[in-house]
Amino acid sequence: MVNPILLIIVPLAFAFALPIVGLISKKIIKYIPVLVFLFNLIISLLLIPKVLDQTIIVKIGGFQPPFGINLFVGPVGILFSTLIALAGLLVSVYALSYIKEGPQEKYHILYLLLLTGATGVVLTGDIFNLFVFFEILCISSYALVAYFGNKAGIESSIKYLIQGSVGSSLLLLGIGLLYGQLGTLNMADIANQIHSISSPSIFVPMIFIITGLGIEAAIFPLNAWLPDAHSSAPSSISAILSGIAIEVGLYAVIRVIFTIFNASSFLMFFVFLGVLTLLIGEMSAFSQKNIKRMLAYSSIGQIGLIMFAVSLNTQLGVSAGLFQMISHTLGKGLLFLSVGFLIYKTGSMEISSFEGIGKKMPFTSLLFTIGAFSIVGLPPFAGFASKFMIIRAALSTGQLLFTILVGVILLGTVIEGAYFFKVIQSIYFKGNTDIIKSDEAPLIALIPMFIFALLIIFIGVYPDFLAKILNSAASEFINRIDYIRSVLG
Amino acid sequence: MEFLTDNIYYIGAFGLIFIGLFIILVKHNLIKVIIGLGILDTGINLFLIAIGYINNGTAPIFSKPGLEAGNMVDPVPQALVLTSIVIGVAILALALSLAIRLYKHYGSLDLRKIKEQRW
Amino acid sequence: MKKIISLILLFIICLGIIFCLQKIPFGAAKTKVGNYYIDNGREETGAANIVTSVVLNYRGFDTLGEVTILFLAAMGLGTVLATLQKKDKRQIEQASLILKTGCRFLFPLILLFGAYIFFHGHLTPGGGFQGGAIIASAFLLVYLGCRGRKINETGSKLTESIGGLVFLIMGLIGLTLGGHYFLSNFIPKGEINTLFSAGIIPIIYIAIGLKVGSELTGIIDNLMEKS
Repeated sequence: MVNPILLIIVPLAFAFALPIVGLISKKIIKYIPVLVFLFNLIISLLLIPKVLDQTIIVKIGGFQPPFGINLFVGPVGILFSTLIALAGLLVSVYALSYIKEGPQEKYHILYLLLLTGATGVVLTGDIFNLFVFFEILCISSYALVAYFGNKAGIESSIKYLIQGSVGSSLLLLGIGLLYGQLGTLNMADIANQIHSISSPSIFVPMIFIITGLGIEAAIFPLNAWLPDAHSSAPSSISAILSGIAIEVGLYAVIRVIFTIFNASSFLMFFVFLGVLTLLIGEMSAFSQKNIKRMLAYSSIGQIGLIMFAVSLNTQLGVSAGLFQMISHTLGKGLLFLSVGFLIYKTGSMEISSFEGIGKKMPFTSLLFTIGAFSIVGLPPFAGFASKFMIIRAALSTGQLLFTILVGVILLGTVIEGAYFFKVIQSIYFKGNTDIIKSDEAPLIALIPMFIFALLIIFIGVYPDFLAKILNSAASEFINRIDYIRSVLG
Repeated sequence: MEFLTDNIYYIGAFGLIFIGLFIILVKHNLIKVIIGLGILDTGINLFLIAIGYINNGTAPIFSKPGLEAGNMVDPVPQALVLTSIVIGVAILALALSLAIRLYKHYGSLDLRKIKEQRW
Repeated sequence: MKKIISLILLFIICLGIIFCLQKIPFGAAKTKVGNYYIDNGREETGAANIVTSVVLNYRGFDTLGEVTILFLAAMGLGTVLATLQKKDKRQIEQASLILKTGCRFLFPLILLFGAYIFFHGHLTPGGGFQGGAIIASAFLLVYLGCRGRKINETGSKLTESIGGLVFLIMGLIGLTLGGHYFLSNFIPKGEINTLFSAGIIPIIYIAIGLKVGSELTGIIDNLMEKS
């Protein structure tokens, strides 16, 4: 049986070794992330059947938890690490032809470390270890947003850095307050000693930790950095930031609320916050003229939708939220990758400059359309299956409040459809109709986009393919007693 | 009065956190904001170490063979602070390099003038 | 206006923290996990300095993450400053004779002191990070005092990467031999309070010390050259 710690160690080892490889030969540097994430993807897929049987606890150094750090590889962890490896592999293949200028060796090192940090956050079982890997994720994204070095990139990066650092300082403050009272840093041990959040000395650290993690997870009103950062980064990095980084941040928030603090009474507030985030994201996206800013605001809206689904606190609700996370990664990744080459060929990020490009770049525009339909939620794409599951979960609780909120979500979907159709109409139906020679994106960039689109269609047509792992993942979040028992015995 | 001298470390750590957060929220010179980040980090590190103190404890090092394990301070917050100081250094290095680049682009370090990205 | 809102926000945060601090009286009794480390630290790890055994053995994974973050900072700094033009050759005023001679005299002594701190990390306060920072300050002294000398960039990159890889390889060897756990202490522990004790701890600290020293030197070199 493969030790799951290799999922974190192998990318880290290659990231340390890349400068040495760069001294030998500069040409093979860009192929190394592809190999590393292929390895990660194979290991995660091999581990899925074993993890669904029984969760794997990896003790680091051989010490019993809570006296040593442990990794908790449950259904949630393996699902996320498969998603991270898949997205990492496809975007690194895309980057073979997209990243041509600048300090390329450093791009690949930072890219490997970003995904190492993300895998570390989802697999760890210790709260200070979560903080360390979270910092690895955040610092590499600060540096990658500023990769191009233009005015917009540096400005967005410094604003992201200041807000993110304040967030991680608050997170550390919350961890310190928890350690002072409970004396341990292991998640299962903390969960064992917290029975309710009614006393203020437990409530205040929880607020600090959620605020600190929420800045990265883009919860309203902490997401002021997101539109600037996601629109100024290189498109492959925007795909990873929108698809993986904010979802990993949201995973950390969910882990803290459900498993550690057992804060079911707090979830009501979260429901409203989610719907508010959804509305503000969609309405702001409607008025954008820059395509990447529009997609960034759409990411905010989707995070609001996932928050709403998870705060329903039922088995169906949490699995619907996780399904929405998967379809958002696939859909938004496809959108950002296709937009990358559209911008490269037209030279500008304004939507008005995309008129008529549907004839010059047929494949890329078709893939953009598939991604847009999936995010809006049209059948037979993955977005439809996940949104349908969320609405079904909300209606099955039977409470009047949730039914009204479902109406608000549908309104948000209509707004989403409106702005995406505006872009698609501009791509296909406007502009002059003389046949210009087709100036398509290179083949090696089209392959990962095709694979994303195939996965979206496949999951949309057979959603039951993921049903088993989503159900086990949801029950891991809801039954925290099982979590505590598998770690502490 | 005794309350002040007993909890002087906590009050000092809070003071630093408070000052750091105030600088970040209010000042508009970029270098001052970065210094505020540094002060915030220092305050939080001081707070973490203060949590681990035991009355009349010494450093947890068994330098002489006959040393008792009786009154030593908690070693875990010291390990946490080691990591946190390094993280603070990394963030300051990255922030200063971004400030250098920003000055080359805009010619000024005033955060009120660096607002090209709008709605 | 902004000042008043931020003052109110900070006041609320302070109130929250004060509520919590009622439960953490200053200088209170020991916690469960801290107790265990102090009582069993010596036998299980063989290091006399309990903080070192916590940092490198019980919570070694956090230290791996920390080493990665410093590596990341050096890479990020290199990325952001990479496309900047080198500063034009201004007429740099030569330092005085006393300063030049003093820097050249002090340089090896400071290096020796830094090396002493990370070699004895398991016996006295100190360790890899502290020693590495002292080594970097020796290089900073040379940059400031004897202007015009530069470090060998290839050598510094190699030291950085090899230091990190040694840490990972020690952990992976623990995975295959020893107790089949990552980062387990598989070298015999020796007698406590001597230099060659505590298993893998001195080896990892030497690797971390050299890595941190060359990394911080690389950061200083980048900042001095490119700005």
